[in-house]
Amino acid sequence: MILNIRNWFKGKEKKEVGMASKWDRGILVFENTSEVIQAENTLKSQGWTIRVMGPPPEIRTGCDLVIEFPLIEGLNILRTLEAAGASPLEVVPVKSPLLQPVDLFQTKDYGDFLMVRAANMKLTIDKENLCIVNISGGGCPDVPYLAGEMVGKTLTEAPNPRDIGHTLCGYALHLAYEEVLRRCSQ
Amino acid sequence: MSTTVDARGLSCPQPVLMTMDEMKKVGKGEITIMVDTVTSRENVSRAAESRGWQVREVQEEGEGFRLTIEKG
Repeated sequence: MILNIRNWFKGKEKKEVGMASKWDRGILVFENTSEVIQAENTLKSQGWTIRVMGPPPEIRTGCDLVIEFPLIEGLNILRTLEAAGASPLEVVPVKSPLLQPVDLFQTKDYGDFLMVRAANMKLTIDKENLCIVNISGGGCPDVPYLAGEMVGKTLTEAPNPRDIGHTLCGYALHLAYEEVLRRCSQ
Repeated sequence: MSTTVDARGLSCPQPVLMTMDEMKKVGKGEITIMVDTVTSRENVSRAAESRGWQVREVQEEGEGFRLTIEKG
């Protein structure tokens, strides 16, 4: 698989000279969410600027999460993933609106409260004191535990769900938590 | 003096937020909250307790629940 992807890059290098602006992002498609998490960890730990997003409607393979990456770094990123045993199923350049990855986050302002939804998990904070007031969604067995550990604490006091969660819901909650932190630090 | 929050038919986080608003408004006393899912019941209870309120009673009512929370 990785060789095919490399050949794809080689083929495109010659043909697409001068199209860098249209071909500046790509998405990595993985078979399952665990592989996405592993790839995200690997790439972020090595300093790559990537984003976990929802798959575009045109992509019908893989799981419910994809990784968006700078296409120009494609070969290096693929080598990094191959070395970590986390090669993607498919590499797709973002070259049309139907191939745009979907933002995983939905935000809703409830006046005094702000809710961020990431995939299937919702995290709501009190804007006045940044206290987590609600965690819901998912349906995974660790959601009540995560809520018990985080609700009533401020964003800085609460444990990162990535450290205490064990399921896809925990991972989605981690994404929501990071997004809330990002918004609150702006 | 007890006030009532009817959050039936609403999805999370709205029952929690309505309860939080009421807790802020009254400060202390007794609040009755009506919800219609187990998830809302748990989320409202958790939010109330995290703010120092006690869940005094949870009653099944029809297809939902009636929670009574209080703070002295």
